[in-house]
Amino acid sequence: METGATTFHNIGTTTDWVVMVIYFLAVMLFGAYFGRYTKTTSDFFFGGRRFSWWLITMSIVATGVGSHSFVKYSAKGFQHGISSTMTYLNDWFFVPFFMFGWLPILVYSRVRSIPEYFEKRFSPSARFLATILLLLYMIGYIGIGFLTLGKAVIPMLPKSFVLFGMTFPVTLMGAIIVIAIITGIYITFGGQTAVIFTDLLQGFILLFAGFALFFIGISFLGGFDSFWNLLPTEWRLPLADFNKPPDFNFVGIFWQDAIAGSIGFLFMNQGLVMRFLACKNVNEGRKAAAVNILFILPLSAIVVGNAGWIGKAISIADPSVVSPDTSPDQIFVVVANIVASPGIFGFIMAALTAALMSTVDTLINATAAIFINDVYRPINRYIHSKDRGSNVVSDKDELIAARWASVAITALGVIAVLAFKNFPTVYEAHGYFHSTLTPPLVVAIFLGVFWKRFSPAGVITTFVGGVALMLIGARYPEFFIAPFDHGIEMNPSRPYSYIRALYNTLACIGIGVLVTLTSDFQNRLLVIIRQRVSSKAEMKIVSIIIGTFLAMVIMGSGSLSIDTTLSVLIVLIVPIITGYFVEYDEKKATKGLIASSIFEAKIMFKGSTPNNKSGEKIEVNFKIKDKSSSKVYFSKNDMKRMSADPGDLVYVCDKRKWLGGLKSIHSVYGKPHNDSGVVYINQSQSETGLFSDGYTLIAEKEM
Amino acid sequence: MEYFSHSWLPFLYLYGLGGLFFTAGIIITIKSGSLDLKNISHWRWFWTLIFGLIWYMSLHASLTLAALNLISSAFILMGCVIIISIFGAFQVINRKRIK
Repeated sequence: METGATTFHNIGTTTDWVVMVIYFLAVMLFGAYFGRYTKTTSDFFFGGRRFSWWLITMSIVATGVGSHSFVKYSAKGFQHGISSTMTYLNDWFFVPFFMFGWLPILVYSRVRSIPEYFEKRFSPSARFLATILLLLYMIGYIGIGFLTLGKAVIPMLPKSFVLFGMTFPVTLMGAIIVIAIITGIYITFGGQTAVIFTDLLQGFILLFAGFALFFIGISFLGGFDSFWNLLPTEWRLPLADFNKPPDFNFVGIFWQDAIAGSIGFLFMNQGLVMRFLACKNVNEGRKAAAVNILFILPLSAIVVGNAGWIGKAISIADPSVVSPDTSPDQIFVVVANIVASPGIFGFIMAALTAALMSTVDTLINATAAIFINDVYRPINRYIHSKDRGSNVVSDKDELIAARWASVAITALGVIAVLAFKNFPTVYEAHGYFHSTLTPPLVVAIFLGVFWKRFSPAGVITTFVGGVALMLIGARYPEFFIAPFDHGIEMNPSRPYSYIRALYNTLACIGIGVLVTLTSDFQNRLLVIIRQRVSSKAEMKIVSIIIGTFLAMVIMGSGSLSIDTTLSVLIVLIVPIITGYFVEYDEKKATKGLIASSIFEAKIMFKGSTPNNKSGEKIEVNFKIKDKSSSKVYFSKNDMKRMSADPGDLVYVCDKRKWLGGLKSIHSVYGKPHNDSGVVYINQSQSETGLFSDGYTLIAEKEM
Repeated sequence: MEYFSHSWLPFLYLYGLGGLFFTAGIIITIKSGSLDLKNISHWRWFWTLIFGLIWYMSLHASLTLAALNLISSAFILMGCVIIISIFGAFQVINRKRIK
């Protein structure tokens, strides 16, 4: 909380609480209904790769609006005006890289998590380090989500309550723990399909609730012109001042959000990545991203920030109604309570908290996916490779493990709140978090996807050396970050919360580029090292020494020169150690995994050369035919209309567009028959596709 | 210029440096072959990407002009409708071309 700021409790009426409870029950029932479609881990995490772009677009609204929450943007809107929209309107710069680099690679390489990509592209050790960094990122994100949720509900709760004659104070952490339990229960039994459909519903409700608040607020102030003219010019400008104040300036936020944040959100936010992977194909994923960023984000910027702008206008018009000293993180609740009548306020608060829960749900689900894919499965594979007689873990066991992982991750998310709860606003906590944790992974993904020469030595040094350089940057900001500060004043208690992203990103890029460009020199050195008889033992000793150096940098020696020397040694020696121990075949490792080999990725995805001839979408009726084959069988005429050949990939879905692909399957064309308008599928495909008797299907060739 | 460090300086930095990253993205994806302008669907996506940049530049520029009282705030809404309509028409025409 802001020191000296006015805080509130007990806002709202009984009617509001009744509306909130009804809303939550309705949303949970809605989610539980679609949760019954979760049968496998693929359904649990990816919703079966079947959905249309519009469904994913709307479900992303609840995730995006929830994470970049009502609370934090209303706070900045109240403190700084329309420039609170900055972070929603700067995400387009890296979309070409995403749409035509990262997204097709993710889909065609069939990776289920970002660390898995690192193993395929680099090595298991790169995957291990990526998993640690990504889990830290995701759990930190969950912590931020819980903190925001707690701050949102605290103004509505009493200062204390009495139970069995004992008085219990209502604290931020107490509220967060209760919320975490509710959230954990829901996600554990729902899964990705439930989250997608719950978010779809909430996406519409959030936009409606946010705009309702905006129009009610404008009306409260006497119309748009009164509102606009009440705001000082600085509050009306869409971008913040270039380099002041330290807690909200344009250039710092550009590097923290437009660069590190946008790339982090699009490229390494497993929650968002899983949404795009739930789309039926790459093109639908591109459409979902484009519509979301171009049109939904500007609307979302108004939805999440307007309470702050209206709060500022009211505080100028009548400071007795909204005090200028109101705690920024509570302004959303305060304004909603003032301008909305009882019941409407409850509805707005329900939409807000449910949206935040959606975000946290998505993140928990995504983190569980990383755990299963990158920790649970590799460990089980290792155990079974030792014990050849036992069976490999079944999908049912994995689903149970995924649910338990969701519970554990929820608990870790609550613990992560402790790291952020002392920041004055959620916005700053989030900014600091993004600036610090995203650069190594973002740089590694970027160079990995777009630079063929980038090798395991480059990626591992970027992770290890990047962390070392970031740590010394955080410890000695006046020495390392100040040269990049663009004139931003250093706040000694929280130095360079945002602009540190520039230093961190440049440090990681510098390491990655340096190591890659000097790879020939490293290879020559490795030839000399390998000629020594005792080279393996010597390199193991060097590895232990470098590990010790890293531990010393993490703990801090207290001396700038020692920390810097150790970090430089880490950067210089880690590529040699990696080159010695990691076997790497560039041709094999980059095949289908970099932007310049997407055609090869498509061949690997399909198993043969893609068929790019354009064909029609056709309507067919399905008939069950017991066949052991997993293929589907169309007539010669229908295959001709689709320009399809046996062996091509096909997508078959229920004709009802409003289902958004919920009832659908992917398959392969089998040999054609002569019954036009009929597709033969087996019982299992009918069950997986959730096809209903009597309903027409639409079929289209994928590739 | 009054409010320069709060208005046009961040605007120039955002679209100068951001535009550079965007252009680099377009060039790299074209050179790598993942964005293939001979493919009609990719060609459409290329123009959608360009539209996106212009759309956001127009949005920020018009909001800045309105904040500085150089245009009416109602103009922003009108401008948005015009730009989206042009984009919509472009998409419909291209869809017919693909068919």
